[in-house]
Formats: sequence, C-alpha cells, structure tokens
Amino acid sequence: MSKMIRKANAFEILNHWVLAVSCFVLVISGFGFLFHLEELNSVFGSFSRMKAIHNWTGLVFVASLFLSMFDYLPVSLRYGAEDIGWIKTAGGYLSKRAVVPPQDRINTGQKFYYLALLAAGYAISASGFTLWFMAGNREAVLIAHLVHNICFDMVVIMIPVHIYLAAIVNPGALRIMITGMVPLEWARSHYGKWVKEMGYK
Amino acid sequence: MTNNWIDIKNADVILVMGANPAENHPISMRWIMKARENGAKLIVVDPRFTKTATKADIYAPMRSGADIAFLGGMIKYIIDHKRYFREYVVNYTNASFLVNPDFRDAGQLAGLFSGYDTKTRKYDKKTWAFQMDENGVPKKDNTLQNPDCVFQLLRKHYARYTPEMVSEITGTPKEKLIEVYETYASTGRPDRSGTELYAMGWTQHTVGTQNIRAMCIVQLLLGNMGIAGGGINALRGESNVQGSTDHGLLFHILTGYLPAPTASVVDLKAYNEKNTPKTKDPKSVNWWGNRPKYIVSYLKAIYGKHATKDNDFGYAWLPKLDEGMNCSWLMLFDQMLKGKFEGFFAWGQNPACSGSNAGKVRKAMARLKWMVNVNLFDNETGSFWKGPGINPADIKTEVFMLPACSSVEKEGSLTNSSRLAQWRYAAIEPIGESLPDSEIMNELYFRVKRLYQKKGGKFSAPIVNLAWDYGEKGPDGKIRKINIHEVAKEINGYYLEDVYDKKATPPKLLGKKGELCATFVHLQDDGSTSCGNWIYSQSYTQKEGKIINMMARRKKTDPTGLGLFPEWAWCWPVNRRILYNRASVDPQGRPWDTKRAVIKWNATKLDKNTQKPGVWEGDVPDGPAPPLADEKAGKYPFIMRADGMGALFGPGLSDGPFPEHYEALESPLRANVLSKQRVNPVIKIFYEKGKGAEEDVFASSDARFPYIGTTYRVTEHWQTGVMTRHAPWQLEMQPQQFVEMSEELAKQKGIRSGDKVTVSSARGKVWAVAIVTERFKPFKVAGSTVHEVGLPWCFGWQYPEDGSGGDSSNLLTPTAGDANTMIPETKAFMVNVEKA
Amino acid sequence: MAQKKSLLISPEACIGCRACQTACKEWNQLSAAKTKNAGTFENPPDLNSSAFNKIHYVEFPVESGVRWLFVSQRCMHCDDAGCMKICPAQGALYRTAEGAVAYNKRKCIGCRLCASACPFNVPRFDANGKIAKCHMCSDRISAGLQPACAKVCTTGGIRYGDRDDLIAQARKAGYARIYGEADLSGLGTLYAFRDAPRLYGMNEKPAIPETVIFWNNVLKPLSYLGLGGAVALALFHYVTVGPKKHEEVDKGE
Repeated sequence: MSKMIRKANAFEILNHWVLAVSCFVLVISGFGFLFHLEELNSVFGSFSRMKAIHNWTGLVFVASLFLSMFDYLPVSLRYGAEDIGWIKTAGGYLSKRAVVPPQDRINTGQKFYYLALLAAGYAISASGFTLWFMAGNREAVLIAHLVHNICFDMVVIMIPVHIYLAAIVNPGALRIMITGMVPLEWARSHYGKWVKEMGYK
Repeated sequence: MTNNWIDIKNADVILVMGANPAENHPISMRWIMKARENGAKLIVVDPRFTKTATKADIYAPMRSGADIAFLGGMIKYIIDHKRYFREYVVNYTNASFLVNPDFRDAGQLAGLFSGYDTKTRKYDKKTWAFQMDENGVPKKDNTLQNPDCVFQLLRKHYARYTPEMVSEITGTPKEKLIEVYETYASTGRPDRSGTELYAMGWTQHTVGTQNIRAMCIVQLLLGNMGIAGGGINALRGESNVQGSTDHGLLFHILTGYLPAPTASVVDLKAYNEKNTPKTKDPKSVNWWGNRPKYIVSYLKAIYGKHATKDNDFGYAWLPKLDEGMNCSWLMLFDQMLKGKFEGFFAWGQNPACSGSNAGKVRKAMARLKWMVNVNLFDNETGSFWKGPGINPADIKTEVFMLPACSSVEKEGSLTNSSRLAQWRYAAIEPIGESLPDSEIMNELYFRVKRLYQKKGGKFSAPIVNLAWDYGEKGPDGKIRKINIHEVAKEINGYYLEDVYDKKATPPKLLGKKGELCATFVHLQDDGSTSCGNWIYSQSYTQKEGKIINMMARRKKTDPTGLGLFPEWAWCWPVNRRILYNRASVDPQGRPWDTKRAVIKWNATKLDKNTQKPGVWEGDVPDGPAPPLADEKAGKYPFIMRADGMGALFGPGLSDGPFPEHYEALESPLRANVLSKQRVNPVIKIFYEKGKGAEEDVFASSDARFPYIGTTYRVTEHWQTGVMTRHAPWQLEMQPQQFVEMSEELAKQKGIRSGDKVTVSSARGKVWAVAIVTERFKPFKVAGSTVHEVGLPWCFGWQYPEDGSGGDSSNLLTPTAGDANTMIPETKAFMVNVEKA
Repeated sequence: MAQKKSLLISPEACIGCRACQTACKEWNQLSAAKTKNAGTFENPPDLNSSAFNKIHYVEFPVESGVRWLFVSQRCMHCDDAGCMKICPAQGALYRTAEGAVAYNKRKCIGCRLCASACPFNVPRFDANGKIAKCHMCSDRISAGLQPACAKVCTTGGIRYGDRDDLIAQARKAGYARIYGEADLSGLGTLYAFRDAPRLYGMNEKPAIPETVIFWNNVLKPLSYLGLGGAVALALFHYVTVGPKKHEEVDKGE
C-alpha cells in the first residue's frame, strides 16, 4: 500500500460538489425549459417553481464558481514546458504509448477546462441574471438569451467530458473529490511536477 | 329626421354639414359606409377635418357661422345651372306662388327684408304674404317666369351669393365650393337622391333655424324630400331627445307640437281659431286642420273625467304663457339671475356645464332659495355652491339631491332620431335609493296634491283634477308603483265612447268604448276620445280586442328592400318611415325612381276599407288619398302645410322668408361682407354698453379675442360627461379638456401639442391641453387670415376629483340665441388662446 | 383543427370611436389607468396589462389636405409566433382551435421572454408579472361568439370570421395586399391597408428576431446533440483507447 497524500482539502471538495450539484440542477431545469419537459413537474412541482429554483440555484452556482477560483485560477494561469508537452501528447488520451511530461497540480487539459468553465459559467450566470433582472429590456434580453443558450450548449458538452475523464477514463481520480487523498505513486504519475514541488519523496 | 337612420344607405350623395356623425353618432356611420360601398359620395363641410371627414370623398373647410352663405351659393348654383328638378319644383313646392308685389328682399334692402321695424327689431310680415285668387287660393305661375313668383324671388335673392362672394365669407376655396355644389346638385334628377345630416353645428347659431331652412330649399329644388336616400335629417344628440320634444318638453309646445296657449287666448274656441290653419284649396290636406281634435283629446287624457264639454275640457287649467313671453333656456337663466325664481328643478341635466355662458348660469343659481337636482350622480349643478371661485358661506340656496336610476334600470320607450319609438326593458333593479323618474314624479305629485287638498291654495284645480291612473292605489290614494304601460296607453289614447265614422252611411264603428285608439285619424273634438300625444296614437293599440304594444315589435322584415323595417318597433306618425313620401312619386303616383320606390299607386288593387280600386303600396303614405293627378280626390304631398306645398318661400319665420347670411353675434369681421346688416336683425341682444347684465358681455371683431371658437362633443363622453366622467374606461380615453388648433396658430403663439393653454372669451376662461393639428387650417376670410379653435364641452370641475379634467368650455360661450328658437349660439364665438 | 379564424382590421372603415377599447375592457374586466391628454386623442398611450387593444391615431399632411388614420393595435396572433417559440413554460402560451394565441396565467412563469421575441411588441405583464394581452377573446370564440371588439364595431372596421373568407372579402373590396396574409406564416390579425403599412405605424416586414430563430434552429437542437455527442465520444474513446492504466504510466516514466 502506497503512501496517501492530500490532493484536495475539504473546502475544495465541498465547493466542487456544490458547483456540481447546482450545475446539474440548472442543466436539468434548463432542459426542462428548452423542451417543455412536463415530466419534471414531478420533481420541481411546476414551471413556476422550476423557474424559481433555476434562478436561485444560479446564484449558488455563481457563488460556488467564484470560490472555485481560489482553488483553480492561479494554477490554471500558470504554464510551463509540461503544458506544451501535454498538448503534444494530447494528454496521453489518444495513445497508450504517449509520454506525458509531469504535470502541475492540475494538468493542462484541466487548466483549459477550468478556464472554459469559468468563462462559460460567468457568461451563463451574467446572461441568466440579465434575463432575470432586466426582463423587459428587449435588446438586453435577446442578447442574454443568445449567450445563455450558447453557454448552455458548451456546458452540456463539457459535463459528460468531465465526468468521463474524472470518473471513468482515469481510474482513481474520483478519490480526489471524495476523500481528497490519493496514493503518492498515483499522484506522481498524474501530477509529477506538483508532487515534486510539494517535496514528496 | 324626415327619413331614418337606415335610409342613409339609399343615398347617392350624403352631405354632412353641421354634424360629425363619426364622433357623435357612430352607428350612423354604418349606413354612411354602406351607401359609400354602393358608390355614394360623402361630402363633409366643417371648420375642422373631423373623424367623419376621414371617410369623405370631398372635404370642404368652412369657418363656423357661414353656413347660409355656403348654402346660398349652392341654391344659386342649382338655379343658374338648371340642376333643379323642375317637375317636382312646379308641382310640389310653392315656387310658382305669387308673393305680394311690395315684397323686397335682402339684396334690395341692404340685408333686411321689407317690413322691418328698427325700434321693435321685428318684421311686419304683411308684404311677405302670397297673392290670393278669388277662391282664396294662392295665385300661381307654373311657368315660373312671373317676377313676383317665389322662384324668381329666390333667384334674385341668391344672385348675390356668387362663388367669389361665398368664398370670401366662408373661407372655403372657390374650387372646393364648386366641387361640392356640382356633386350635390347632381341629385336634382329623378333617379338620384341626396341626403343631409345635421346636428347642433347648424342649430346652435343666431341663424340656426335659417341654416336648416336654406338646406330645405336646396332639397326641395333638387326633389330630395320624401324620397328614399333623401330628406333633412337632424341627428339628435341624445337617445330620447326626439321623444322628449314630441312630448312637449319645450316651453312653447304641448305634446305632439300643439302650440302652448297664451294668456290672451282665453278659451278653447279662441285657441282653435288662433292655431288651426285653414285652406280653401280642395287639393290641400292641411292636416293641422285637425288640431281641435288633438287638443281636446289631449285635455281628456290629462284631466280625465274632470274634462267636460261644459268646462271647455279644462282648457282654463292649462298653464298659459304671457303674450310674447319667452321661456327658453337663455331666458330662464336670465330671469333666474334677476331673482325671478325661488326654486329650480334641475332634472336630468347639468346646466352649470351645459348652459351657454355657464358662468352666468352658475351665478344665477346662487339667487335661488332652493334647487332640486335629480340625477344619476351629483354634478357641477348640484354642487355649484362649492364650485371654483365660490365661497359656500355666501350661498343661501338649499340644494336637494334626488337620485334617479339609469335608463337600464327601468322599462319604457325611447324615441330616436328616426322617430322610432322602441320599447325596452329594465335590465336590473334600480341601485340603492335611486328611483325611476316616473316614481319620483309620482311621489312629488301625490305630496303636492295632498297639500292642495288639505290646505287649499290658489288655482289648485290643475293639480287636483289631474288624471293620474297609472297603477294600483294604496289606502292613501297614492299609486303604489307606476305601471309605465298605463302611461304609454294614455299617450296612445282611448275611445271613451263608441266612436263612429259619421261620414259613412250608415255610420261605421271606428272603436269601442274603453278600447285603445287605433290611430289619430279616429280622434274626436267632442270628448269621446282621449290621447296624450296624438302623433303617438297607434303606438300601443288594440286589434280585435287584443292589446298590442307596437313599440315592442321586433320583426325584421323589409318588404321594400329600402331598410324601412315596418314591423320593427313603431314610428310616428302611423308608422310612416319616410315623411312626405307622397313627394317621392309623380302626380300620377309613379315613383320618381323605380329602383327606390318608397310608395307607389296601384290603381287596380281594391282598397280593403273602401272596396274601391286604388291603393298605395310600400311605406305608409301621407294619407290614403289618390295621387295628385286625380282630378277629384288627388292631394298635395306636404300635408302638414296649409297650402300642401314644400316651402321655398317661408313667411312663417321671424327673420325672413329666405335665409340670409348674417355674422354670428361674435365674429372676426367688423362688417358683413354681404350687406350692411352685420347680425341677424331680429335676435334678442342681451347686452349693450351700460345696459344689460355684465355677464352677457360680448366682443365682436375685438383684438383681445381674435380667434373663432367653437364647441363640440367627443365619442367618449356623454354631454357634460356627468355619466362618462364617472366611468374610468371613458375617462382613460379622454381625460382632459383640450383645444384643437392649427399648426399655423400654434407656431404664432409658441404653443406645442400637449402644452397647457388658457382659452378666454369676453365672459370667462378655461385651461385646456393644446392639440396642435393639421386638421385645423386658417381661413382666408374677407381678405385676411382667420384662425379657429375648437373645444369639447364634456368636462367639469367636480369630477375627476383632482380637477385634472378642467372645466366646461361653456364658460366661454355667449348669451345669444337663434331668432326663432332661442337656441344658444355656442358654435361660433370669439376667443383668445395663450400659453398657460 | 377547425377552419382557422381571424380578425380583419380595416382602418379605412374605422371611425376611431374606440368602442372596441371599451368592449375589450368590459369583457375582460380590465381596469382603467389614470391618463393625461398628451396633445392627441390616443389614450392610453400604449398597450398595457389592462389595455389589450387600442386605436393608434396617425395624422399627416398630404397634397389634398390631411389624412387621419385609425389603426386598431393588438396581438397579431402570428401563425409562426415568436412568443410561443421562446416561451419556456409548457402551456403558458397556447394555440386555440381557432388559431388564436391564448395564454394560461397560472402556467406563465413571468419570465417575459415572449415580449422580446414578439415582432410587434405586444405582450404586457400584470402586477403579478404574468402575461396579459389580446387572446382574441378565446373564451368567447370557443363558444362560437365573436371577440368583444368585433362584436361592438359598428362600421366593419374590425371583423371576425373564417380567415379565408375575410381575405376574400378584403380582396373583393379592392385591397390588393392584405397585411399579414403571408407574414410570419400568416397573421391571425389581418389588415386591409390602402397604402404602405408604415403609414399605419406597421412594420413593412415583421419578423421574429434573428437571434431567436438562430437559437430555435441551431442552439436548441445543439444542446441535446452536444450532450449526446459528448457521451458518444466518451464511449467511443473508452472502447477504442480505453482508460489509463496507472502502472503503465509508471512504467513509462
């Protein structure tokens, strides 16, 4: 049994799940609105209730998104040679023989993903708030509606990718967001640069 | 209306002048549009481009108060261009009658007719009389060439009304005048019809009656009277104002247009002698020759068993006017201001806003001891004592409010402009303490009667002898609840005895004792019939014993295809839908226009009553007599006139046998362009410097008040708005007093649309919101530019409560009345407009 | 579906009496607003949650003098209705059997998106934020009656009936182009205009905003295509490449 190290703290884990759950609620209700899914009434009660939940969950979502920046933004903006290597090897996802350079606390793909999520998340929130609070302003609403839906499309593509990469294609990665603890060896193989910088032997 | 609302659809040309039906009679537009769909031309003559004008083929702007000039020009055009319907004019009008050779017209006497007395301001009409032959029948010249004949006098009188002259007076461009004249004169053919629609835009002038007379002349010249799609049609401004006039609401008439008696006419015999026109022409029906039957039947209706042959049927109990006494609107408030009244019933009206020179009216009311305001709502009249500029502490008048219920809360009949009496039912019970007018009158009558019975008093007979049998009586003798059907029946009249036609041999039974009269033809002057209003006889009748409320009929059959709908309700007289319809056929009884036959003579069909061949088919004719060409029994068509003829020459009016243009009392012109006589010479002048009340002051051609003002209504409000200002939906659409004016005037005065402005006259001022519009244009009158502005009169200070509505525009209008009717001149006066 | 019904508005027949405005309020039990005269007959100044229709007064000088037009404004009941397209709440806006665009306030979620998608700026919202607009008196027409406004119109300025009949009538009366005949797949409120629609205050070519069309045609399908595609891609990757093996990575190092 390898030595376990802490990859994520409690706050980070909690915030991740807040973000994930709110996002999930928003997406489900979003689909409900888009396709008039009356079946969801059994969950939300009514479209009016669903709208209220959607709106208030949006607030949770954006708060959570904001907090996530403390965890991920600095690292997502820090690039080195390992990132070029990651890109060159496509993160090792396309070939089992590809050699991916040791990665920082999160890998290049995760950095890009996070930045994209941040952008889409803020845009969808901002447009959502516009729809919520500026209803009646025809031009603003039309633009917001467009942005909200473009971002929605982005988000619904990104979510399965994230789940697949985190829970399926990288065995063991899910642990980070459950206990926060991962085996040192595992960490070294995925986040070599970070492990080294952290001084683990 | 001589015709009816629906009949407008039968017209080829519709002249709307002195009215704005799209605004004030919206439903009539349905028929105007129908006529237009069939190719009719709509002409609108108005100072302002109105809602009606939006649908017009020709719109001719004309400054307010110049109608006679406009129509005089049309008369001249018709004569000069020989557009008149000669056969009609010769046979059916007094065109051929010879007039006293001493008669002089206004062209010859500088705007006056012969016989004017400058001291009394009255005409001696001696020279206006017709020349009579040895049989006492007017002399005629059917060639219309005799210089003394009416036609030649007419031609001469209107020779001065050239298009140039008319244009200078009216401000209407000459080309527009010609276009209107040409179009309207096109109806002077047997196969074309023209109708005229007017309202207060014609009547409310010092020359109001003559405005209408001028159009009568046009219609007679063109053969447009009596025909489908023709006539002179007064658009009544209130759903039952026709009914109220019919039932003697005005001071000078009893019901059915029987003249009100005067003090010098001491008995029934004298009344009949004075008021029964006579003719010696066997071809003239002279229907008013029946007047003695109608007055006696009327007296029987109102005094019942107390009216006997021995007491002159109670004639002495009728209220009498002093000789020459005028109790018209303006005079009432004039006398009120002079303190001549103690009390006043303001019943269903709002004089504080509706009366011309409303400032004077409001002051006058303060001289009263008491006032009873009978209305749906409190109004500016009932609350005059707390009105603007009035200190309630100074007012001694005691005001009582009697809440009346609305028209939908009571059963009864309404008579509209078509003379159509329609029965309607109560939709709901009266709300709160409100009562139908009849119940209020019942209370009032009973209490007054009881006072007279208990305490006696001067001249109690008219009250205590009144027949008042309108329902079941309580132990105190009071009617518990008025049965309005009993009132309707009394109006229709009863046979009080078995009544026989004594001319027939053997005498034929016309009606059984106790039954309802079948028609006014059966009424008698011996007390054997009663009838509250002879023209309504047949409205609630009895056939083979069965009582029929004719006004409640609702059958939609239209046998003539003209929209007469003879079985829909009932119209006076005797359900005749088009008056003077005997003029719609030639002397042989053939319709002038077979496509629009109102009536036609069927010479072979047997008459059911007489069993002789020859009956009229179509509308109810003006009498069953055979056509005029029948040597023995033929009759003239205009049966209400003693001579049976349509009057081109009308010696009956006080201000001239022909209409002549005079300026309004307040006008922008220093002088009448047409003659030396500036205003109508016989109108009452209430104010002269140093004489008369200051309230009656006027300012003509006065630099302080340089613009013509006129008033009108809006669709959204009803009269002074007492009902509609309380209806939020209506108020939302028309919330505030406004004044419409031209871009040109607004620019001159620095006023923009939506600005608050002050409109003032010599008598008062109001604020209004400016509507600056292309629809008003300045007029070129007598060489100078004249502006006109217009205001609605539907607002008042009391409601809306925050005063945001403004006050009545009648605070501006003058104390001036028509020479014949005294209707106030609210349609042309002078104002100033300034930015507030 | 029954024969499609429509309203035919004919400004040439309209006399601006506004009985339609009052009748609408009476039938729908709508309140009045406190208004001011702003230098025009037009009032209330705009449609609102208690004014489902109104007469728009247009006045302009022409060579022969002036023209004064009265144009009844209200919901156009578009066949291709932007409001219905964008509305996120099932059943809030619905099409009646007669073809009217009606609404159910209880289902309206008050998001007001419909107002933005309407090419005619029609939807208004009541004090509770729920949609309020002309619904062609859906309760009356479903009972075989005419809408209140058409019922009280004395001159034929507003007519209600079978759409094809109304169009035929207008053609017969000489109107070459009937506004709304083809616009937005056919409006339920047709206009017989004698002149260019813009003179009557109408858009020459009414259209649903392009963003709404783009959203409807592209973004909306893309959302489930995107979701499905991403899942499919992951599945494909899992099958072809498969998950990473921890040991292999170690070896590679």
